[in-house]
Amino acid sequence: MSERAPTLVLDRASVAYGDVPVLEELNGVVHEGEAVALIGPNGAGKSTFIKALLGLVPVVRGRIEVLGRPPAQARRDVAYVPQADTLDPDFPVSVEQVVMMGRYRRIGWLRRPSAGDRAEVADALERVGLAGRARDRFGTLSGGQRQRVLLARAIAAKPRMLLLDEPFNGVDAVSQHALLEAIGSLKAQGASVVVSTHDLAIAHLACDEVCLLNRHQFGFGPTGDVLTPERLRATYGGHALELRGDRVIVTQT
Amino acid sequence: MMFFEPFQLPFMARALIELVILGALAGTVGVLVLLRRLAFVSDTLTHTVFPGVVIGHIMAGDGGIFWGALAAGVVTAVLLTLLTQRRRVSEDAALAMLLTTLFAVGVVIVSRQTGFTSDLTAFLFGRVLTVTEAQLAQTAVVTVVVVALLAVLRRPLLLRAFDPEGAQAAGVRVGLLDLVLNVAVALVVVAAVKAVGTILVIALLIVPAAAARSLSDRLAVIVPLACLVGAGAGWLGLVVSYEASVGHGVRLASGATVVLVLVAMYGLAHAAAYVRRKAGLSRARRRSVLEAA
Repeated sequence: MSERAPTLVLDRASVAYGDVPVLEELNGVVHEGEAVALIGPNGAGKSTFIKALLGLVPVVRGRIEVLGRPPAQARRDVAYVPQADTLDPDFPVSVEQVVMMGRYRRIGWLRRPSAGDRAEVADALERVGLAGRARDRFGTLSGGQRQRVLLARAIAAKPRMLLLDEPFNGVDAVSQHALLEAIGSLKAQGASVVVSTHDLAIAHLACDEVCLLNRHQFGFGPTGDVLTPERLRATYGGHALELRGDRVIVTQT
Repeated sequence: MMFFEPFQLPFMARALIELVILGALAGTVGVLVLLRRLAFVSDTLTHTVFPGVVIGHIMAGDGGIFWGALAAGVVTAVLLTLLTQRRRVSEDAALAMLLTTLFAVGVVIVSRQTGFTSDLTAFLFGRVLTVTEAQLAQTAVVTVVVVALLAVLRRPLLLRAFDPEGAQAAGVRVGLLDLVLNVAVALVVVAAVKAVGTILVIALLIVPAAAARSLSDRLAVIVPLACLVGAGAGWLGLVVSYEASVGHGVRLASGATVVLVLVAMYGLAHAAAYVRRKAGLSRARRRSVLEAA
Protein backbone atom coordinates (compact mmCIF):
# COMPACT_ATOMS: atom_id res chain seq x y z
CA MET A 1 0.00 0.00 0.00
CA SER A 2 2.86 2.36 0.77
CA GLU A 3 3.55 3.15 -2.90
CA ARG A 4 0.07 4.68 -3.17
CA ALA A 5 -0.31 8.40 -2.67
CA PRO A 6 -1.73 9.61 0.66
CA THR A 7 -5.18 11.23 0.24
CA LEU A 8 -5.89 12.13 3.84
CA VAL A 9 -3.33 13.26 6.38
CA LEU A 10 -4.21 13.99 10.00
CA ASP A 11 -1.37 15.50 11.98
CA ARG A 12 -2.11 16.22 15.68
CA ALA A 13 -5.30 17.88 14.48
CA SER A 14 -7.98 19.31 16.77
CA VAL A 15 -11.31 20.62 15.49
CA ALA A 16 -13.72 22.88 17.37
CA TYR A 17 -17.08 24.62 17.10
CA GLY A 18 -16.25 28.10 18.34
CA ASP A 19 -14.37 27.69 21.62
CA VAL A 20 -15.60 24.15 22.27
CA PRO A 21 -13.15 21.49 21.09
CA VAL A 22 -15.02 18.48 19.67
CA LEU A 23 -12.19 16.24 18.55
CA GLU A 24 -8.59 16.40 19.74
CA GLU A 25 -5.26 14.90 18.73
CA LEU A 26 -6.27 13.19 15.48
CA ASN A 27 -3.42 11.36 13.74
CA GLY A 28 -3.37 9.09 10.74
CA VAL A 29 -2.92 8.64 7.02
CA VAL A 30 -5.27 7.21 4.38
CA HIS A 31 -4.05 6.29 0.88
CA GLU A 32 -5.66 6.01 -2.54
CA GLY A 33 -8.06 3.11 -2.81
CA GLU A 34 -8.34 2.62 0.96
CA ALA A 35 -11.42 2.78 3.11
CA VAL A 36 -11.42 3.87 6.74
CA ALA A 37 -14.28 3.20 9.17
CA LEU A 38 -15.06 5.81 11.82
CA ILE A 39 -16.26 3.94 14.88
CA GLY A 40 -17.44 5.29 18.18
CA PRO A 41 -20.57 5.85 20.31
CA ASN A 42 -23.22 8.50 19.57
CA GLY A 43 -21.89 11.97 20.26
CA ALA A 44 -18.31 10.77 19.77
CA GLY A 45 -17.76 13.32 17.02
CA LYS A 46 -18.01 11.10 13.93
CA SER A 47 -20.15 13.60 12.00
CA THR A 48 -17.86 16.42 13.09
CA PHE A 49 -14.90 14.42 11.79
CA ILE A 50 -16.58 14.23 8.38
CA LYS A 51 -17.49 17.94 8.45
CA ALA A 52 -13.86 18.75 9.25
CA LEU A 53 -12.77 16.85 6.14
CA LEU A 54 -15.18 19.06 4.16
CA GLY A 55 -13.75 22.20 5.71
CA LEU A 56 -17.09 23.01 7.40
CA VAL A 57 -15.65 22.80 10.93
CA PRO A 58 -12.36 24.61 11.53
CA VAL A 59 -9.12 22.91 12.46
CA VAL A 60 -7.86 24.84 15.50
CA ARG A 61 -4.60 22.99 16.09
CA GLY A 62 -2.43 20.70 14.00
CA ARG A 63 -3.16 19.98 10.35
CA ILE A 64 -5.66 18.17 8.14
CA GLU A 65 -4.85 17.69 4.48
CA VAL A 66 -7.33 16.29 2.00
CA LEU A 67 -5.86 15.33 -1.40
CA GLY A 68 -2.83 17.43 -0.52
CA ARG A 69 -4.88 20.58 0.12
CA PRO A 70 -6.59 22.26 3.06
CA PRO A 71 -10.06 20.61 3.34
CA ALA A 72 -12.13 23.57 2.07
CA GLN A 73 -10.06 23.68 -1.12
CA ALA A 74 -10.49 19.98 -1.84
CA ARG A 75 -14.31 19.99 -2.00
CA ARG A 76 -14.33 19.82 -5.79
CA ASP A 77 -12.94 16.29 -5.62
CA VAL A 78 -14.74 15.14 -2.48
CA ALA A 79 -18.31 13.80 -2.42
CA TYR A 80 -20.44 13.69 0.70
CA VAL A 81 -23.29 11.25 1.24
CA PRO A 82 -25.72 12.37 3.98
CA GLN A 83 -28.08 10.05 5.83
CA ALA A 84 -31.12 9.52 3.61
CA ASP A 85 -33.60 9.95 6.45
CA THR A 86 -32.50 13.55 7.05
CA LEU A 87 -34.08 14.50 3.69
CA ASP A 88 -37.74 15.44 3.14
CA PRO A 89 -39.53 12.50 1.46
CA ASP A 90 -42.27 14.84 0.14
CA PHE A 91 -39.80 16.88 -1.91
CA PRO A 92 -40.97 16.87 -5.55
CA VAL A 93 -37.81 15.59 -7.16
CA SER A 94 -37.13 12.42 -9.18
CA VAL A 95 -34.38 9.88 -8.55
CA GLU A 96 -32.72 11.00 -11.78
CA GLN A 97 -32.81 14.66 -10.69
CA VAL A 98 -31.18 13.81 -7.36
CA VAL A 99 -28.34 11.92 -9.06
CA MET A 100 -27.94 14.78 -11.58
CA MET A 101 -27.22 17.08 -8.60
CA GLY A 102 -23.88 15.24 -8.42
CA ARG A 103 -23.09 16.66 -11.86
CA TYR A 104 -24.02 20.29 -11.03
CA ARG A 105 -20.43 21.33 -10.37
CA ARG A 106 -19.43 20.18 -13.83
CA ILE A 107 -22.57 21.41 -15.59
CA GLY A 108 -22.40 24.90 -14.05
CA TRP A 109 -25.34 27.28 -13.74
CA LEU A 110 -26.63 27.76 -17.26
CA ARG A 111 -25.62 24.89 -19.53
CA ARG A 112 -28.11 22.08 -20.07
CA PRO A 113 -26.99 18.61 -18.96
CA SER A 114 -25.16 16.99 -21.90
CA ALA A 115 -25.54 13.45 -23.19
CA GLY A 116 -22.35 12.69 -21.26
CA ASP A 117 -23.92 13.96 -18.00
CA ARG A 118 -26.99 11.80 -18.61
CA ALA A 119 -24.80 8.77 -19.29
CA GLU A 120 -22.92 9.34 -16.00
CA VAL A 121 -26.23 9.53 -14.14
CA ALA A 122 -27.51 6.33 -15.75
CA ASP A 123 -24.20 4.59 -15.02
CA ALA A 124 -24.20 5.69 -11.35
CA LEU A 125 -27.77 4.39 -10.90
CA GLU A 126 -26.75 1.13 -12.54
CA ARG A 127 -23.88 0.77 -10.07
CA VAL A 128 -26.20 0.99 -7.06
CA GLY A 129 -28.72 -1.36 -8.69
CA LEU A 130 -31.49 1.20 -9.28
CA ALA A 131 -31.35 1.65 -13.04
CA GLY A 132 -35.09 1.02 -13.39
CA ARG A 133 -36.13 3.67 -10.86
CA ALA A 134 -34.76 6.81 -12.55
CA ARG A 135 -38.15 8.42 -13.17
CA ASP A 136 -39.71 7.61 -9.77
CA ARG A 137 -40.09 10.30 -7.16
CA PHE A 138 -37.23 10.12 -4.62
CA GLY A 139 -39.60 9.93 -1.64
CA THR A 140 -41.45 6.87 -2.97
CA LEU A 141 -38.35 4.68 -2.54
CA SER A 142 -37.53 2.73 0.64
CA GLY A 143 -34.99 4.12 3.11
CA GLY A 144 -32.26 1.80 1.85
CA GLN A 145 -32.98 2.64 -1.78
CA ARG A 146 -32.87 6.37 -1.02
CA GLN A 147 -29.46 5.86 0.57
CA ARG A 148 -28.36 4.13 -2.63
CA VAL A 149 -29.62 7.06 -4.72
CA LEU A 150 -27.53 9.44 -2.59
CA LEU A 151 -24.50 7.21 -3.13
CA ALA A 152 -25.23 7.26 -6.88
CA ARG A 153 -25.28 11.07 -6.71
CA ALA A 154 -21.80 10.96 -5.15
CA ILE A 155 -20.58 8.47 -7.77
CA ALA A 156 -21.84 10.73 -10.57
CA ALA A 157 -19.62 13.50 -9.19
CA LYS A 158 -16.54 11.31 -9.92
CA PRO A 159 -14.91 12.00 -6.54
CA ARG A 160 -11.39 11.10 -5.46
CA MET A 161 -12.63 10.89 -1.88
CA LEU A 162 -16.03 9.73 -0.66
CA LEU A 163 -17.42 10.63 2.78
CA LEU A 164 -20.42 8.67 4.07
CA ASP A 165 -22.29 9.51 7.27
CA GLU A 166 -23.86 6.35 8.78
CA PRO A 167 -24.99 4.96 5.40
CA PHE A 168 -25.99 1.58 6.85
CA ASN A 169 -28.36 2.83 9.55
CA GLY A 170 -31.76 1.18 9.21
CA VAL A 171 -30.90 -0.17 5.76
CA ASP A 172 -32.25 -3.55 4.58
CA ALA A 173 -29.94 -6.41 3.59
CA VAL A 174 -30.38 -5.92 -0.17
CA SER A 175 -29.50 -2.24 0.02
CA GLN A 176 -26.60 -2.91 2.37
CA HIS A 177 -25.18 -5.35 -0.14
CA ALA A 178 -25.66 -2.88 -3.01
CA LEU A 179 -23.99 -0.09 -1.02
CA LEU A 180 -21.00 -2.29 -0.13
CA GLU A 181 -20.60 -3.41 -3.76
CA ALA A 182 -20.66 0.17 -5.05
CA ILE A 183 -18.21 1.36 -2.38
CA GLY A 184 -15.92 -1.55 -3.27
CA SER A 185 -15.91 -0.64 -6.96
CA LEU A 186 -15.10 3.00 -6.16
CA LYS A 187 -12.14 1.84 -4.06
CA ALA A 188 -10.98 -0.36 -6.91
CA GLN A 189 -10.91 2.75 -9.10
CA GLY A 190 -8.62 4.48 -6.63
CA ALA A 191 -11.04 6.58 -4.56
CA SER A 192 -10.54 6.83 -0.81
CA VAL A 193 -13.58 6.22 1.38
CA VAL A 194 -14.34 7.48 4.88
CA VAL A 195 -17.46 5.92 6.38
CA SER A 196 -18.91 6.33 9.86
CA THR A 197 -20.77 3.33 11.19
CA HIS A 198 -21.94 1.56 14.34
CA ASP A 199 -21.47 -1.79 12.68
CA LEU A 200 -18.18 -3.50 13.54
CA ALA A 201 -18.92 -6.32 11.08
CA ILE A 202 -19.16 -3.83 8.22
CA ALA A 203 -15.92 -2.23 9.31
CA HIS A 204 -14.26 -5.64 9.09
CA LEU A 205 -15.89 -6.40 5.75
CA ALA A 206 -15.45 -3.18 3.84
CA CYS A 207 -12.67 -1.18 5.42
CA ASP A 208 -8.90 -1.49 5.44
CA GLU A 209 -8.46 0.88 8.34
CA VAL A 210 -10.39 1.86 11.42
CA CYS A 211 -10.41 5.10 13.37
CA LEU A 212 -11.79 4.68 16.89
CA LEU A 213 -13.26 7.93 18.12
CA ASN A 214 -14.77 9.28 21.29
CA ARG A 215 -13.77 12.93 21.54
CA HIS A 216 -10.19 11.69 21.30
CA GLN A 217 -8.73 9.15 18.96
CA PHE A 218 -8.51 5.68 20.55
CA GLY A 219 -6.73 4.11 17.62
CA PHE A 220 -6.09 4.48 13.91
CA GLY A 221 -4.70 1.71 11.79
CA PRO A 222 -5.35 -1.59 10.00
CA THR A 223 -8.75 -3.01 10.95
CA GLY A 224 -7.40 -6.22 12.49
CA ASP A 225 -4.91 -4.34 14.69
CA VAL A 226 -7.28 -1.66 15.92
CA LEU A 227 -10.56 -3.52 16.53
CA THR A 228 -9.31 -5.20 19.69
CA PRO A 229 -11.35 -5.78 22.86
CA GLU A 230 -9.10 -3.46 24.89
CA ARG A 231 -9.42 -0.56 22.48
CA LEU A 232 -13.18 -1.01 22.04
CA ARG A 233 -13.58 -1.05 25.82
CA ALA A 234 -11.56 2.13 26.06
CA THR A 235 -13.61 3.81 23.30
CA TYR A 236 -17.04 2.78 24.51
CA GLY A 237 -16.33 2.95 28.26
CA GLY A 238 -18.87 0.97 30.27
CA HIS A 239 -20.92 0.06 27.22
CA ALA A 240 -18.60 -2.65 25.93
CA LEU A 241 -18.93 -6.17 27.31
CA GLU A 242 -16.50 -9.00 26.80
CA LEU A 243 -17.60 -12.32 25.35
CA ARG A 244 -15.38 -15.39 25.67
CA GLY A 245 -12.24 -13.39 26.20
CA ASP A 246 -11.57 -12.37 22.59
CA ARG A 247 -14.86 -10.82 21.48
CA VAL A 248 -16.51 -7.61 22.47
CA ILE A 249 -20.16 -6.69 22.23
CA VAL A 250 -21.12 -3.05 22.27
CA THR A 251 -24.33 -2.56 24.21
CA GLN A 252 -24.99 1.03 23.34
CA THR A 253 -24.16 2.79 20.11
CA MET B 1 -68.71 38.28 -22.81
CA MET B 2 -68.35 39.06 -19.14
CA PHE B 3 -64.84 37.52 -19.06
CA PHE B 4 -63.34 40.02 -21.53
CA GLU B 5 -65.68 43.00 -21.83
CA PRO B 6 -64.68 44.82 -18.60
CA PHE B 7 -61.10 45.08 -19.81
CA GLN B 8 -62.00 47.49 -22.61
CA LEU B 9 -61.93 50.13 -19.88
CA PRO B 10 -58.31 51.36 -19.65
CA PHE B 11 -58.14 51.21 -15.83
CA MET B 12 -59.46 47.62 -15.90
CA ALA B 13 -56.96 46.66 -18.59
CA ARG B 14 -54.10 48.06 -16.50
CA ALA B 15 -55.38 46.20 -13.42
CA LEU B 16 -55.57 43.00 -15.44
CA ILE B 17 -52.01 43.28 -16.75
CA GLU B 18 -50.73 44.10 -13.26
CA LEU B 19 -52.46 41.14 -11.61
CA VAL B 20 -51.56 38.65 -14.34
CA ILE B 21 -47.86 39.60 -14.17
CA LEU B 22 -47.91 39.57 -10.36
CA GLY B 23 -49.72 36.25 -10.21
CA ALA B 24 -47.18 34.62 -12.51
CA LEU B 25 -44.23 36.16 -10.61
CA ALA B 26 -45.54 35.25 -7.16
CA GLY B 27 -46.42 31.75 -8.39
CA THR B 28 -42.82 31.16 -9.48
CA VAL B 29 -41.21 32.52 -6.33
CA GLY B 30 -43.88 30.78 -4.25
CA VAL B 31 -42.72 27.33 -5.38
CA LEU B 32 -39.33 28.01 -3.77
CA VAL B 33 -41.00 29.44 -0.66
CA LEU B 34 -43.01 26.23 -0.40
CA LEU B 35 -40.01 23.94 -0.97
CA ARG B 36 -37.95 25.80 1.62
CA ARG B 37 -40.90 26.00 4.05
CA LEU B 38 -40.47 29.74 4.27
CA ALA B 39 -44.14 30.73 4.55
CA PHE B 40 -43.66 32.39 7.93
CA VAL B 41 -40.46 34.14 6.87
CA SER B 42 -42.33 35.45 3.81
CA ASP B 43 -45.23 36.58 5.96
CA THR B 44 -42.75 38.46 8.14
CA LEU B 45 -41.41 40.19 5.02
CA THR B 46 -44.90 41.27 3.98
CA HIS B 47 -45.29 43.04 7.33
CA THR B 48 -41.83 44.57 7.53
CA VAL B 49 -42.22 46.20 4.12
CA PHE B 50 -45.20 48.13 5.51
CA PRO B 51 -43.29 50.92 7.36
CA GLY B 52 -41.26 51.49 4.19
CA VAL B 53 -44.49 51.97 2.24
CA VAL B 54 -45.75 54.50 4.79
CA ILE B 55 -42.50 56.48 4.96
CA GLY B 56 -42.16 56.47 1.16
CA HIS B 57 -45.69 57.81 0.82
CA ILE B 58 -45.12 60.59 3.33
CA MET B 59 -41.86 61.65 1.73
CA ALA B 60 -42.82 61.54 -1.94
CA GLY B 61 -46.50 60.71 -2.31
CA ASP B 62 -47.71 57.77 -4.38
CA GLY B 63 -44.48 57.68 -6.38
CA GLY B 64 -42.49 57.17 -3.17
CA ILE B 65 -44.31 53.99 -2.17
CA PHE B 66 -42.28 51.72 -4.45
CA TRP B 67 -38.91 53.08 -3.35
CA GLY B 68 -39.82 53.10 0.35
CA ALA B 69 -41.03 49.52 0.07
CA LEU B 70 -37.91 48.54 -1.84
CA ALA B 71 -35.60 49.99 0.81
CA ALA B 72 -37.52 48.37 3.68
CA GLY B 73 -37.78 45.07 1.79
CA VAL B 74 -34.07 44.77 1.06
CA VAL B 75 -33.03 45.83 4.58
CA THR B 76 -35.38 43.34 6.25
CA ALA B 77 -34.41 40.57 3.82
CA VAL B 78 -30.82 41.00 5.00
CA LEU B 79 -31.92 41.09 8.66
CA LEU B 80 -34.06 37.97 8.23
CA THR B 81 -31.25 36.08 6.51
CA LEU B 82 -28.88 36.86 9.39
CA LEU B 83 -31.55 35.96 11.94
CA THR B 84 -32.37 32.60 10.36
CA GLN B 85 -28.70 31.59 9.96
CA ARG B 86 -28.31 31.42 13.73
CA ARG B 87 -30.22 28.75 15.54
CA ARG B 88 -29.68 30.02 19.06
CA VAL B 89 -32.70 32.31 19.51
CA SER B 90 -35.95 30.55 18.83
CA GLU B 91 -36.44 31.51 15.21
CA ASP B 92 -40.24 31.71 15.38
CA ALA B 93 -40.23 34.06 18.34
CA ALA B 94 -37.60 36.31 16.76
CA LEU B 95 -39.58 36.49 13.51
CA ALA B 96 -42.83 37.25 15.30
CA MET B 97 -41.15 40.07 17.23
CA LEU B 98 -39.63 41.59 14.11
CA LEU B 99 -42.94 41.30 12.26
CA THR B 100 -45.07 43.04 14.88
CA THR B 101 -42.47 45.66 15.82
CA LEU B 102 -42.00 46.97 12.30
CA PHE B 103 -45.71 46.71 11.55
CA ALA B 104 -46.46 48.77 14.68
CA VAL B 105 -43.87 51.35 13.59
CA GLY B 106 -45.75 51.67 10.30
CA VAL B 107 -49.12 52.05 12.01
CA VAL B 108 -47.77 54.67 14.43
CA ILE B 109 -46.36 56.74 11.58
CA VAL B 110 -49.45 56.47 9.39
CA SER B 111 -51.79 57.32 12.27
CA ARG B 112 -50.12 60.72 12.63
CA GLN B 113 -51.29 61.68 9.14
CA THR B 114 -54.64 63.23 8.36
CA GLY B 115 -57.04 60.94 6.52
CA PHE B 116 -55.03 57.99 7.66
CA THR B 117 -57.77 55.34 7.59
CA SER B 118 -58.10 55.62 3.83
CA ASP B 119 -54.30 55.53 3.38
CA LEU B 120 -54.04 52.59 5.76
CA THR B 121 -56.63 50.59 3.80
CA ALA B 122 -54.80 51.27 0.54
CA PHE B 123 -51.41 50.21 1.98
CA LEU B 124 -52.77 47.06 3.60
CA PHE B 125 -55.17 45.82 0.93
CA GLY B 126 -54.09 47.59 -2.24
CA ARG B 127 -56.02 49.54 -4.86
CA VAL B 128 -55.44 47.72 -8.09
CA LEU B 129 -57.93 49.79 -10.11
CA THR B 130 -55.76 52.90 -9.71
CA VAL B 131 -52.55 51.29 -10.98
CA THR B 132 -50.68 53.64 -13.33
CA GLU B 133 -48.56 52.83 -16.35
CA ALA B 134 -45.41 53.75 -14.41
CA GLN B 135 -46.34 51.23 -11.73
CA LEU B 136 -46.97 48.59 -14.39
CA ALA B 137 -43.48 49.23 -15.71
CA GLN B 138 -42.05 48.83 -12.19
CA THR B 139 -43.82 45.50 -11.77
CA ALA B 140 -42.54 44.32 -15.14
CA VAL B 141 -38.94 45.27 -14.32
CA VAL B 142 -39.10 43.55 -10.93
CA THR B 143 -40.53 40.45 -12.61
CA VAL B 144 -37.77 40.29 -15.21
CA VAL B 145 -35.05 40.77 -12.56
CA VAL B 146 -36.45 38.16 -10.16
CA VAL B 147 -37.21 35.53 -12.80
CA ALA B 148 -33.75 35.96 -14.39
CA LEU B 149 -32.11 35.63 -10.96
CA LEU B 150 -34.00 32.46 -10.11
CA ALA B 151 -33.40 30.96 -13.55
CA VAL B 152 -29.64 31.48 -13.28
CA LEU B 153 -29.48 30.13 -9.72
CA ARG B 154 -32.02 27.32 -10.16
CA ARG B 155 -29.56 24.47 -9.62
CA PRO B 156 -27.92 25.67 -6.40
CA LEU B 157 -31.36 26.79 -5.15
CA LEU B 158 -32.81 23.33 -5.76
CA LEU B 159 -29.84 21.56 -4.17
CA ARG B 160 -29.97 23.87 -1.14
CA ALA B 161 -33.72 23.33 -0.69
CA PHE B 162 -33.46 19.55 -1.01
CA ASP B 163 -30.25 18.88 0.92
CA PRO B 164 -28.72 21.84 2.80
CA GLU B 165 -25.80 19.81 4.20
CA GLY B 166 -25.05 18.32 0.81
CA ALA B 167 -25.14 21.80 -0.71
CA GLN B 168 -22.62 23.09 1.85
CA ALA B 169 -20.43 20.06 1.28
CA ALA B 170 -20.51 20.75 -2.47
CA GLY B 171 -19.21 24.26 -1.82
CA VAL B 172 -22.49 26.13 -2.37
CA ARG B 173 -22.56 29.49 -0.54
CA VAL B 174 -25.75 28.72 1.37
CA GLY B 175 -25.95 32.02 3.26
CA LEU B 176 -25.67 34.04 0.08
CA LEU B 177 -28.27 31.88 -1.65
CA ASP B 178 -30.70 32.36 1.25
CA LEU B 179 -30.21 36.10 0.99
CA VAL B 180 -31.02 35.99 -2.73
CA LEU B 181 -34.27 34.12 -2.10
CA ASN B 182 -35.29 36.43 0.74
CA VAL B 183 -34.61 39.47 -1.45
CA ALA B 184 -36.65 37.85 -4.24
CA VAL B 185 -39.59 37.42 -1.85
CA ALA B 186 -39.16 41.02 -0.69
CA LEU B 187 -39.24 42.18 -4.32
CA VAL B 188 -42.50 40.31 -4.93
CA VAL B 189 -44.00 42.02 -1.89
CA VAL B 190 -42.75 45.40 -3.12
CA ALA B 191 -44.19 44.83 -6.58
CA ALA B 192 -47.52 43.74 -5.13
CA VAL B 193 -48.03 46.61 -2.65
CA LYS B 194 -50.05 48.77 -5.02
CA ALA B 195 -52.22 45.95 -6.38
CA VAL B 196 -53.07 43.79 -3.39
CA GLY B 197 -51.40 45.53 -0.44
CA THR B 198 -48.84 44.17 1.98
CA ILE B 199 -51.21 41.82 3.80
CA LEU B 200 -52.82 39.89 0.95
CA VAL B 201 -49.63 39.25 -1.04
CA ILE B 202 -48.77 36.25 1.13
CA ALA B 203 -51.73 34.44 -0.47
CA LEU B 204 -50.34 35.17 -3.94
CA LEU B 205 -47.04 33.61 -2.87
CA ILE B 206 -48.29 30.53 -1.06
CA VAL B 207 -51.59 29.44 -2.61
CA PRO B 208 -50.68 28.95 -6.32
CA ALA B 209 -47.59 26.92 -5.39
CA ALA B 210 -49.55 24.79 -2.94
CA ALA B 211 -52.31 24.17 -5.51
CA ALA B 212 -49.77 23.20 -8.17
CA ARG B 213 -47.90 20.95 -5.73
CA SER B 214 -51.08 19.03 -4.94
CA LEU B 215 -51.56 18.34 -8.67
CA SER B 216 -48.03 17.26 -9.57
CA ASP B 217 -44.83 15.71 -8.20
CA ARG B 218 -42.68 17.17 -10.95
CA LEU B 219 -41.05 20.60 -10.65
CA ALA B 220 -41.12 21.01 -14.43
CA VAL B 221 -44.93 20.92 -14.13
CA ILE B 222 -45.33 22.62 -10.74
CA VAL B 223 -43.59 25.89 -11.67
CA PRO B 224 -45.59 26.67 -14.86
CA LEU B 225 -48.79 25.46 -13.20
CA ALA B 226 -48.24 27.78 -10.22
CA CYS B 227 -47.68 30.67 -12.67
CA LEU B 228 -50.89 29.81 -14.47
CA VAL B 229 -52.93 29.51 -11.27
CA GLY B 230 -51.58 32.84 -10.00
CA ALA B 231 -52.23 34.66 -13.27
CA GLY B 232 -55.62 32.98 -13.77
CA ALA B 233 -56.78 33.91 -10.29
CA GLY B 234 -55.82 37.54 -10.97
CA TRP B 235 -57.96 37.62 -14.09
CA LEU B 236 -60.91 35.71 -12.61
CA GLY B 237 -60.82 37.74 -9.39
CA LEU B 238 -61.07 40.98 -11.36
CA VAL B 239 -63.97 39.63 -13.44
CA VAL B 240 -65.87 38.54 -10.32
CA SER B 241 -65.35 41.81 -8.45
CA TYR B 242 -66.31 43.85 -11.55
CA GLU B 243 -69.43 41.78 -12.22
CA ALA B 244 -70.52 41.96 -8.58
CA SER B 245 -69.91 45.71 -8.32
CA VAL B 246 -71.19 46.86 -11.72
CA GLY B 247 -73.71 44.16 -12.57
CA HIS B 248 -75.21 43.45 -9.16
CA GLY B 249 -74.43 46.49 -7.04
CA VAL B 250 -72.43 44.43 -4.50
CA ARG B 251 -69.09 46.14 -3.89
CA LEU B 252 -66.28 43.60 -3.71
CA ALA B 253 -62.70 44.77 -3.07
CA SER B 254 -60.70 43.41 -6.02
CA GLY B 255 -57.54 42.44 -4.10
CA ALA B 256 -59.47 40.39 -1.55
CA THR B 257 -61.62 38.85 -4.30
CA VAL B 258 -58.47 37.67 -6.07
CA VAL B 259 -57.32 36.02 -2.85
CA LEU B 260 -60.68 34.28 -2.37
CA VAL B 261 -60.63 33.04 -5.98
CA LEU B 262 -57.13 31.69 -5.33
CA VAL B 263 -58.28 29.80 -2.27
CA ALA B 264 -61.21 28.38 -4.24
CA MET B 265 -58.78 27.23 -6.95
CA TYR B 266 -56.65 25.59 -4.28
CA GLY B 267 -59.74 23.76 -3.01
CA LEU B 268 -60.53 22.55 -6.53
CA ALA B 269 -56.94 21.42 -7.11
CA HIS B 270 -57.00 19.52 -3.85
CA ALA B 271 -60.32 17.88 -4.71
CA ALA B 272 -59.01 16.93 -8.16
CA ALA B 273 -55.87 15.41 -6.62
CA TYR B 274 -58.03 13.47 -4.16
CA VAL B 275 -60.29 12.09 -6.90
CA ARG B 276 -57.28 11.14 -9.02
CA ARG B 277 -55.62 9.37 -6.09
CA LYS B 278 -58.83 7.44 -5.38
CA ALA B 279 -59.20 6.51 -9.05
CA GLY B 280 -55.55 5.46 -9.18
CA LEU B 281 -55.99 3.31 -6.08
CA SER B 282 -59.07 1.53 -7.37
CA ARG B 283 -57.36 0.94 -10.73
CA ALA B 284 -54.40 -0.60 -8.91
CA ARG B 285 -56.78 -2.73 -6.82
CA ARG B 286 -58.63 -3.96 -9.92
CA ARG B 287 -55.32 -4.80 -11.53
CA SER B 288 -54.12 -6.76 -8.52
CA VAL B 289 -57.45 -8.64 -8.36
CA LEU B 290 -57.11 -9.47 -12.07
CA GLU B 291 -53.53 -10.61 -11.60
CA ALA B 292 -54.51 -12.78 -8.65
CA ALA B 293 -57.27 -14.43 -10.70
